[in-house]
Amino acid sequence: MSEENQVEEQPKPLILQKLEANHADALLAHDETRGTVVVVVRKEQAYAVLEYLKTDPELAYTFLVDVTAVDNSQMESELMQFDYARFMVVYQLYSYQGQCRARVKVPVHESDLNIPSVTSLWQGANWLERETYDMFGINFEGHPDLRRILMPDDFEGHPLRKDYPLRGRGERERFNFDKQNV
Amino acid sequence: MGLDFVGQGAGETDGNIITTTIDKVVNWGRKNSLWPMPFGTACCAIEMMATLASKFDLSRFGSEAIRFSPRQSDLLIVSGRISIKMMPVLKRIYDQMPDPKWVISMGACASCGGVFDTYTLIQGVDQFIPVDVYIPGCPPRPEDLIDGVLQVQQKIASGASPKGVEAVYE
Repeated sequence: MSEENQVEEQPKPLILQKLEANHADALLAHDETRGTVVVVVRKEQAYAVLEYLKTDPELAYTFLVDVTAVDNSQMESELMQFDYARFMVVYQLYSYQGQCRARVKVPVHESDLNIPSVTSLWQGANWLERETYDMFGINFEGHPDLRRILMPDDFEGHPLRKDYPLRGRGERERFNFDKQNV
Repeated sequence: MGLDFVGQGAGETDGNIITTTIDKVVNWGRKNSLWPMPFGTACCAIEMMATLASKFDLSRFGSEAIRFSPRQSDLLIVSGRISIKMMPVLKRIYDQMPDPKWVISMGACASCGGVFDTYTLIQGVDQFIPVDVYIPGCPPRPEDLIDGVLQVQQKIASGASPKGVEAVYE
């Protein structure tokens, strides 16, 4: 790579260049925060984009750091941007090759909580997606074993949703030993 | 201990026979050989480990024989947060301990939920298992835990029933 090229590339990170060239229709927005590129991606193309980020030899985001979600139901400014999608599923990626991080965000509407599972790309997504399902109720399609991981199996509701009361709905008081098979 | 020396004459038995009650002897033995079952789920367990280690040395009080099997212990030390998912496990461990058994609720979380007033945390294990001694602190210092063990010893020496037994007969 010549020096001339490098100067031209600096304003735009490689990941954005490549995504705009190959998945321009999937990109809803992009941003950069503290050296991490943040891209917001349409749900329909989310799996394809993540697969591309992992398998592209130049990008090689081979390490899935975290999968989580954000409930934006009380964040009007966030809601407005992405067609009032209540949830934002967030994938944190790291590329050992490029030694850089990337964050992929996918807006998910409350009316359709399905999103493709990425367990076929990263085995490590298994428990991360289970936790996101447990806490937010996001349904990861194609997950091999999607059930609660933190809360008891008979727990009702998804406690990290903003409409879930902090002190619960009486689980601690209603608590019953007979129901639990221990 | 309620010991009485028997004998006044010049015989062989003079001053060599003592009388007491069987309860007092048994309790004296129990109090000086408590076998704790540690149930450590949070930072209180770190303080408990320090208490058992050489610096604070719980064995000075005869309680160093930590057993990780409830079937071999008679003192349950609940140290840490107990969630609604963990409570059945704790209850089961308590049930598996042979009588007589005592329970120490160590620290704010085990005693009342502490700062974690949330949907998932038991607000005090005494709602579900009988607790003999509560230790305040977040987390309590090792000296506090030693004091708690001494309180249990006093309770045993006084002949009082464990809280669990009282609960059965109430």
